[in-house]
Amino acid sequence: MRGRIVSLMLLVLPLAVAAYAQDDRQRVVTRYEANVGDKKFDPRDLSGIWTLTRNDHSLGTPAPPLTPAGAAAKAGRRADTPGAFGNAPWYACNPMGFPRLLNDDEPMELVMLPNRILQLFQWEHRVRVLWTDGRNVPSGEHLENLGPAWYGHSVARWNGNTLVVNTVGLDERAWLDNQGNPKSFRARIEETWRRVDANTLELQLTLYDPEYYTAPYVGSKKTYKRMPDDAITYFGWYGLYAGITEGICAPMNEVEGYNKEFRDPGRAAKP
Amino acid sequence: MQKLPILWILIAVLALPESLIAHHGRGATYDMKTRVTLKGIVSRIDWRNPHVVIYMDVKGADGSVMTWGFENAGVSQLAQAGYHRNTLTIGQEITAIVNPAANGGPTAIVVKVILADGSEIMSRETGANPAN
Repeated sequence: MRGRIVSLMLLVLPLAVAAYAQDDRQRVVTRYEANVGDKKFDPRDLSGIWTLTRNDHSLGTPAPPLTPAGAAAKAGRRADTPGAFGNAPWYACNPMGFPRLLNDDEPMELVMLPNRILQLFQWEHRVRVLWTDGRNVPSGEHLENLGPAWYGHSVARWNGNTLVVNTVGLDERAWLDNQGNPKSFRARIEETWRRVDANTLELQLTLYDPEYYTAPYVGSKKTYKRMPDDAITYFGWYGLYAGITEGICAPMNEVEGYNKEFRDPGRAAKP
Repeated sequence: MQKLPILWILIAVLALPESLIAHHGRGATYDMKTRVTLKGIVSRIDWRNPHVVIYMDVKGADGSVMTWGFENAGVSQLAQAGYHRNTLTIGQEITAIVNPAANGGPTAIVVKVILADGSEIMSRETGANPAN
């Protein structure tokens, strides 16, 4: 009898796994499915609040082999593993930097202005400025004088209905992804954004960094969905507090309040 | 005692591990295969990022009181799901179903909270709570 029950359990287990996988996916989908009736859109208007359809804090593809300089830059970085936390700088509230923040879980808003596009990230409560006024990305002496920035310096232009964004001058201390892959100050990252329907944005990102990588690092296509109004509203009120909210990483909250006081004790060795 | 392994298999089937890769990683902090039901009184609410933590005093069978803390999603995500820092109040009686800390300590991550009137809030099962 007991064997039969165990067999039944083994039979049920894969079904339960499938059901939970469905729930996991559904948790994201329920946040934007209210938009499905919307059909009209301007492919050059990316405004809205958008969220990734799946959590993936990497570029979505394997990284090309590193150069010796790239390997040296990555040395000492420990990614999270199932049994241990890594040493990613964001655990101490350092900026995730670009493009790591782009691949994070919380939504971002795109605001279209005449001469630039603002990208507002909920996590870090961060603003990225994508210049659309025809300027070039800084290079040479100008880039050297500007120096590194956590989110770099970004310029965008339209190629048909595809928005092409180039970013240079990135701070090497920020990890490229959750694996601790590096990027050099002289790297360039090119994003292509396409609004494929009223509720869907597609992003593809490529890292050009011959200093640290033996080949361009071509990321996978990522999909963002537009958040419906009721998902960006506080308590049913479309007032001042709707929209991207304050996901600020404050060390007194994050490091002292959460890491040290709550999370880490739960991971201590069994008594 | 013979039935215990079967019971654990049942618990494992009903509470399978979910993705826990938040922007602020938790690693293997919790035993996602186990659920614990806590009945008690809310004693403290840390309504802050990266994850809200709610503490409650739980009285054991011997009358002793153990303070448990269980974490939730971040402030923005909970707010977008309709919850705020006064959704639960100090002194309120609640039942919390949680996945406990892997090391057996009195910390946990929420599965759902059941109020005195039987209503369920902050549930990771329904999709209303994007804690991940």
